[in-house]
Amino acid sequence: MNLSIYRDDKTWLHRLDPRTKLFGTTIVFILCLCFNDPFYTGSVALGVFVVALSARAQKAIWKLRYILLMLFLFSVILWPFFTSGKTVIWTWKSLKLTRESILYGMAMGFRLSTFVITGLILLATTRNEEITDGLIKMRMPYPLAFAFSTALRLVPTFAGAGATIVQAQVSRGLDLESKNIISRFGKFIPLAVPMFISAIRYTNLLAMALESRGFSPNAPRTFYYEPKMAKKDWVILCFLIVLLLVLLYMRLILGMGVIMPGRI
Amino acid sequence: MGIPVSIKSLSFAYHNAKKQSIKDINGEIRDGEFLVIMGHGGAGKSTLCCAMNGIIPRFYHGDYSGNVFIAGKEATQYNPSDMARNVGLVLQDFEAQLFSTNVELEIAFGLENIGLPSFEINRRIDRYIDFIGLHGMRKADISTLSGGQKQRLAIGSVLAMEPYVVVMDEPTTDLDPLGRHDVLSLAGLLREGRRTLVMVDNEPDTAVYADQLWLMKDGEIVAQGAPDRYLADEELLVSCGVMPLQIISLFRRMNWQGKPLTVEAAMELINKNNLVQKREQIVWKDNKIFGGNDFFIEAKGLTHRYPGASCDALKDVSFGIRRGEFVAILGQNGSGKTTVAKHINRLLKPTSGELLVNGKKTTTYKQNELARLVGYVFQNPDNQIFASTVKEEVGFGLKVLGEHTKTIEKNVAEALYVTGLEGYENRSPFVLSKGERQRVAVASVLSVKPEVIILDEPTTGLDYQHQRDSLEMLKRLNKMGHTVVIITHSMWIAEEYADRCILMKDGEIINDGQTRTVFADEDKLVMASLVPSPIVRLSNRLGTKAMNVDDMVKELGR
Repeated sequence: MNLSIYRDDKTWLHRLDPRTKLFGTTIVFILCLCFNDPFYTGSVALGVFVVALSARAQKAIWKLRYILLMLFLFSVILWPFFTSGKTVIWTWKSLKLTRESILYGMAMGFRLSTFVITGLILLATTRNEEITDGLIKMRMPYPLAFAFSTALRLVPTFAGAGATIVQAQVSRGLDLESKNIISRFGKFIPLAVPMFISAIRYTNLLAMALESRGFSPNAPRTFYYEPKMAKKDWVILCFLIVLLLVLLYMRLILGMGVIMPGRI
Repeated sequence: MGIPVSIKSLSFAYHNAKKQSIKDINGEIRDGEFLVIMGHGGAGKSTLCCAMNGIIPRFYHGDYSGNVFIAGKEATQYNPSDMARNVGLVLQDFEAQLFSTNVELEIAFGLENIGLPSFEINRRIDRYIDFIGLHGMRKADISTLSGGQKQRLAIGSVLAMEPYVVVMDEPTTDLDPLGRHDVLSLAGLLREGRRTLVMVDNEPDTAVYADQLWLMKDGEIVAQGAPDRYLADEELLVSCGVMPLQIISLFRRMNWQGKPLTVEAAMELINKNNLVQKREQIVWKDNKIFGGNDFFIEAKGLTHRYPGASCDALKDVSFGIRRGEFVAILGQNGSGKTTVAKHINRLLKPTSGELLVNGKKTTTYKQNELARLVGYVFQNPDNQIFASTVKEEVGFGLKVLGEHTKTIEKNVAEALYVTGLEGYENRSPFVLSKGERQRVAVASVLSVKPEVIILDEPTTGLDYQHQRDSLEMLKRLNKMGHTVVIITHSMWIAEEYADRCILMKDGEIINDGQTRTVFADEDKLVMASLVPSPIVRLSNRLGTKAMNVDDMVKELGR
């Protein structure tokens, strides 16, 4: 089972400098925060989705479809209970459902999904090593950059180990099918302890392997895939910055795309 | 270059450990030599490897005395990146050593660390990717490689740093026979290139080609020198947890002249000295000693495809296992052995076809009903051990199945007795040795008293004595009426212990029958890239029935 998100390809996004992608991802995150009207956040989401298609990252998104759906649904269902607007649609005792709060919930749903999809596009088009190199080139200290990319790299490894541990305990009779939440919590320990031990063991071996390859966090190192900023990188960065400025202008000066004033 | 590695009265105890892991080690490895280190589990082999690479004492702290000189300079004086250019270390666990996303970046990682420019890195990748036999796979995703390829990549990425010495700590233990062959042939190439090579490996056939053999026991070197002097010493090898060479044992016990190390050499000696009377070649036919169709486990057209996979992992497999059989499932990794086994206790469900246990489809059982019929011991005991005492660990299955405290106590005591773990009740399972932890895992499955016990590679990583102990235990269980199914890469274990073998390749069963019959058909085994152990190959050539040294001596002595 392959749990990694990266997909080897040569789309335009794959060929961008990792710095452009890291910086671009940050800008897109801010773009998502510009509006709280579902038509506007929805448009941003659609734009990001088109980018995902052009980078052929739909497979990665498909892998996480349930998580995305849950994020969207929970946000649409839960936000209306915590916000209030003017146009009341339905009341029951102290509960009040308003048109604005429903729209706000949808906007938040789009926003959260866009966050996840943007992150997925980055991971689906950028190798772990490129992320490390990009971060270092952006002046992040090497130990920090390496720790960050190793953490990303270990997610699928630990997920795989977790699956084996679940199988091992289920075959000893551990019943994970029952619905009772309290009894489920008690079943956590037989899974957590081996998981913890295998993580420690694995990290220890990894550290040894790193040592024997001459890894030392503070020594100067070279880059085999030396990232280079090309013209297209600058064009894309300029485009994103202009886009950000335009959207900020729309929100802050023209007051567009706001369902709930005073909220981000 | 002189002497790449020289060790002088080296002792080391890990931090907080009560006793020393290695004691007073002395030795020299000369330029271009091939050194093999063998010893039982916990003998200090890995500790010694780590000391040669400076990981001890730099990474693992403890009580260190004596000296290790690498290229004339003390190991503790090097910084990691200089050390990596002198001594390359390859570990047993190939998954943990590989952390890049494709083959070329994996090789590049070490070279980046020592600050080589990009064009030089490229040149070295070119050179070493061919050497390790992965040409054309520069951009391949590492998760798509086979175990053997992964371990060769780990070796290649260390080699690319062009160290004087390459140290490999049990590089083949986690591999299937094909992967092992891959790695050993790569080691052979290194030897021809006169690269100084240190290898920990407990299979005596590796040591046959060594310039030096160090045998370790309880942290000390008990024998050091040319391998042929020691490989014939059965007692010494067994005391160090190493399986003796079967053919040498046979020749010694038959009082035949010579110490042949290979089957071919043995046949030559036998023919030359006319040691064995010509026998009629036995035609092995399955004489169906297991008559009847009262199958306890039965697969009918079992097919399985993993989610997202492009082809079936199991293709229309049918077989039946009767109560009380001792079955070995053989084949390379990816041949479908584990997939079949996981269907028996419904960790996997058939994509099509069905699997019946006691006449009922597995899919119609409740999980806890099935857990009482079929116990499954995973390869790595650490995937399931969690409790603070052995007693609690072994009783866990019964507890979740809702048994009474009295029953739990009684069954736990029995399981501990059968697995030889009496007196361990209140010890912590985490501090036990690998062999003992394996037995705890078996006991924790046994305590539920399942009719069938499935074990996935129960002997991986155990030394010879512990392998024997585990198998003797399984044999006892089998005699007590349990049906035993093992998945194994170890041919001698299947030969000596299984009544019946199922041979798998690419998701299909290519041979199934009595063990002797399956092992007489060497062509089928070769199809699955397996080779019988030397004594069975000799037995096949001589036309004898025996599958181990004891029986062979009896049969030929008549």
